[in-house]
Amino acid sequence: MTLKSKRLIAVVIFIAISSASASLLLAKSKPKKSVAQMDDSQRALHALNRLTFGPRPGDIDKVKAIGVDKWIDQQLSPDKIDDSALQSRLEPFRTLRMDSRTLVQNFPPPQVIKAVADGRLRMPSDPKERAIYEAQLENYKNRAERKAQNDNAAATKSDDGNMANDMAPEAMDRRAERREARMNANSDADALLQKSPQDRFNAVLKMPADERRIMVQGFQPEEREKLLQGMSAEQREQLQALANPQGVITNELVQSKLIRAIYSERQLDEVMTDFWFNHFNVFVQKGADRVLTTSYERDAIRPHALGKFKDLLMATATHPAMLFYLDNFQSVGPNSIAAQRGGGRGANLANNRNQRRETFFQRIGLAPQPRRQRPQQQRNPNNMDPNAAPKPQRGVNENYARELMELHTLGVDGGYTQQDIIEVAKVLTGWTIKQPQLGGSFEFNDKLHEPGEKHILGQKINEDGEKEGKKVLEMLAKHPSTAKFISRKLAMRFVSDTPPQSLIDSMSATYLKSDGDIKEVLRTMFKSPEFWSPESYRAKVKTPLEFVVSAVRITGSDVSNAQPLAQTLQRLGMPLYGMQPPTGYSMKADAWVNSAALLNRMNFGLALASGKLRGISVNKDLLMKDSMPPADADAAVAVISNAILAGDISQQTRDTIRKQLDDPTLNQRNVTDPMKQLGVIAGLVLGSPEFQRR
Amino acid sequence: MALTRRVFLKNSALAVVGTTAIPSFLTRAAFADVNSTGKKRMVVLFQRGAADGLNIVVPHGEPTYYQMRPTIAIPRASVIDLDGLFGLHPSMAAFKPLWDSKQLAIVHASGSPDNTRSHFDAQDYMESGTPGVKSTEDGWLNRALQKEWEKQSPFRAVALGTALPRTLAGPNPAVAISNINEFGVGGRNAGPAAGGLSNSFESMYAQSVDSVLHGTGQETFEAVKMLKSADPAKYTPAANANYPRGRFGDSLKQVAQLLKADLGVEVAFADIGGWDHHVNEGSTQGQIANLTREFSQAIAAFWTDIGNLGGETVLVTMSEFGRTARENGSRGTDHGHANVMFVLGGPVKGGKVYGRWPGLDSRHLYEGRDLEVTTDFRTVLSEGLSRHMGNSQLASVFPGFRASGKDFLGLIG
Repeated sequence: MTLKSKRLIAVVIFIAISSASASLLLAKSKPKKSVAQMDDSQRALHALNRLTFGPRPGDIDKVKAIGVDKWIDQQLSPDKIDDSALQSRLEPFRTLRMDSRTLVQNFPPPQVIKAVADGRLRMPSDPKERAIYEAQLENYKNRAERKAQNDNAAATKSDDGNMANDMAPEAMDRRAERREARMNANSDADALLQKSPQDRFNAVLKMPADERRIMVQGFQPEEREKLLQGMSAEQREQLQALANPQGVITNELVQSKLIRAIYSERQLDEVMTDFWFNHFNVFVQKGADRVLTTSYERDAIRPHALGKFKDLLMATATHPAMLFYLDNFQSVGPNSIAAQRGGGRGANLANNRNQRRETFFQRIGLAPQPRRQRPQQQRNPNNMDPNAAPKPQRGVNENYARELMELHTLGVDGGYTQQDIIEVAKVLTGWTIKQPQLGGSFEFNDKLHEPGEKHILGQKINEDGEKEGKKVLEMLAKHPSTAKFISRKLAMRFVSDTPPQSLIDSMSATYLKSDGDIKEVLRTMFKSPEFWSPESYRAKVKTPLEFVVSAVRITGSDVSNAQPLAQTLQRLGMPLYGMQPPTGYSMKADAWVNSAALLNRMNFGLALASGKLRGISVNKDLLMKDSMPPADADAAVAVISNAILAGDISQQTRDTIRKQLDDPTLNQRNVTDPMKQLGVIAGLVLGSPEFQRR
Repeated sequence: MALTRRVFLKNSALAVVGTTAIPSFLTRAAFADVNSTGKKRMVVLFQRGAADGLNIVVPHGEPTYYQMRPTIAIPRASVIDLDGLFGLHPSMAAFKPLWDSKQLAIVHASGSPDNTRSHFDAQDYMESGTPGVKSTEDGWLNRALQKEWEKQSPFRAVALGTALPRTLAGPNPAVAISNINEFGVGGRNAGPAAGGLSNSFESMYAQSVDSVLHGTGQETFEAVKMLKSADPAKYTPAANANYPRGRFGDSLKQVAQLLKADLGVEVAFADIGGWDHHVNEGSTQGQIANLTREFSQAIAAFWTDIGNLGGETVLVTMSEFGRTARENGSRGTDHGHANVMFVLGGPVKGGKVYGRWPGLDSRHLYEGRDLEVTTDFRTVLSEGLSRHMGNSQLASVFPGFRASGKDFLGLIG
């Protein structure tokens, strides 16, 4: 203890000295670079560019009126900021408020459907829920049928080497049937769209699953929208779930993230929630995480986004989404009771899995299904070395333990070894999930836990069950390497791709002093000379998310459907919740500046500004402020470029845009009207090099 | 300094190229000779996530392999035998004809000498070509483009995907393309105004003082114009080139289109993720089977598709590290060390597994758990660059590493 506090003092002193010398250095470098200090407007813009997803029309004046420092303080206390407008925008996304178990029930994953198909699970009695299950059952059977067909085709192919696309006669009949159904469905569709929302809902629900699917597939996007028009959020969800129940959950998650980023008044809280989700990344498309990610962000990340790092760490470590994503729920101590049971050191995995299955289905009121036995010898007859034939062994899985230290806390150079990884993995054996496929919860299972003492980073951890893990997480949270690693990453998000060491040092000092208080670390950064240095101004290239959201915000756009934005992010290489590796997305320019991405950014800018994105409309009045309608093209270029880039636009870019307006192809398309030209101008500004930075 | 390729000096040279200047590809086009011979190419493929080399090229002649992997080993009878000791995973049947025709070689127990088991660091090292050195700013594949670049095609170095990979970062221009049909202002359905808008954007980026965006903008628009005139979309896959569905197949299909359109591609890069099988890796069925099927079918389709161009092409695959020799407690494998590389090409002396096989005996395992690296991945790449691409500057491609003729495995020649 005394040693630690001495070290702490030493660190503080060191940092005090180094930050003093850093500001000296900074002072010296200034005249050389001849960059002017930011003026008041630039300070406001800089703060907005860093603490938010980009300014909206009028934001700079608002921040100036409040005072930049005071506004930052406000952002650091999000609870005191009224965000009711956002809340009403989020109202339709019902899944955001459901727990994982309810999500599974209402939007059944394939496992549940399979259980119903196999007769292990009863159909729900509620007719609305029942329709969803029936539709999925139909899909499930179709898939099985297709698979059988493919297998047949493959067999045919290997028999005679002929690629003949032979199809079983029954399948041909079915196909013809479907074609007919499709034609009928199309003629019925018009009649359907004329009905009242309630009648429409009932009619669709009553349709046979196959017919409904065919009808919806035949719809144009506008018709699909028409179909859902006027229905309640719940009805819309239910109809969407007929096609793809899991898709409802991820769609609402993705859309709500964009809606929050665009409209939340608690912008810093939103930026930090995004930052930490990315730091503690999980991949929404991995199995149970399709259901669990909603709760992960809501319950583990968001509440601690500006809280203590150790709480955040603990919340992520114990959340089923993380336990599933990085496989810790499967990790078993090789000397644990579970591993010992069923014969010596190597427990029989198959048996254990069977046991787990039984519990899994018993708990939801299912008769245990007799599992197909797949003993080793049967599965691989005569193939294996007969002398070998060892029992499969349950053991530790290092995945989470490694990423916990490399990516979540110490950093890859944080001073741990492969042996530390193994020991941490042992400590965390037994940290598992109760019923993962049913939206399960954290559970410490003592039977899976590796007994004995462990040694981590030179410290002895006595055998103490679940408490071992808690102790290790706390140890990691307060480690100086973690302080440095987290500080650097924050500085990379808020200051520059290569933040000055002096800044990292002062932030780390705050981190250690405040027991990892994220808010205090941020405060230190926002008050630092490095944050306000002219070199930081517009120094960051926007990530795709920052680019897309900032474009929507600055154009004062109204978003009734965020799906086109989500698709843009996919094209830009940043699908939301879609990063498979645990590293999360890069925050550095070189990850995002390339040919494909630049073209996609330009195309997005043009599409947004010219109103080509369904469900998103630019508010030209807001964009033009008091200059509506613009006197002429020159005025329009000046007003829009100033509105979007707050004056930070080069003469060349402005001239280029002005010249573009004389392009004869635009004139042929009757875009001489200044109002229509606004779209072209705004699109070009959004795609300009200047707008790619914040 | 930020790790970006734009910090290099080329920007000043690029700045003189305005929108009105004649793009260099037009002057070059006069001399272009479609499907000409003598243009050496290299296709580099990365398996991200640390592929399990031991279940890809299976040492089925080693009993230890079966002892170490009770549930995920590939049964002997299922393996596609190659030489009695090694065999291909059964879902990689698409590779067998390439092996039989001696175009496909395998280098087993190859990889990076650095002992990191971090995906991120190991990929970084393998792409920079400098294991253990984090400060390297550029990638080996970019450094391998040694000649004067101004006269070269903007497609000289191309990556399929939404990001430019680390290995193509550096002073030489390189383009990333996610979809060649959408590569342009206006995207797939560009209207009549798209040309003008494209010029405007080009002009903005050409004149920008922002060095990061300026350079990329310049390369982008040269590539856009060249692609438009070459119209690679008309080069549809050859009749018997059956690309599997998915991103990787799409990537290779597009690489083939770029090659067939004779856009001057010298190096191309594509990657395929999803190899990090900590849990339920599978054996003859399952995750590893599905992924190896996609991987091998895409490569085989690509090879069929490019036809005669294969004679001038060498394709090489790599993955950041291998996986533990023993399966873990959840029917998967954890991060290991050595892996397997495939080398495919007209000039390749295939039908052979190269490299010294260290065996899976506990005494020979690296750190007691992983396959030992007996061939540095840079030795394999050096041979390809030297013998195939005619690169004589290996010391600058792989600084601090020396692989000369006598170290080469004799893969090419």
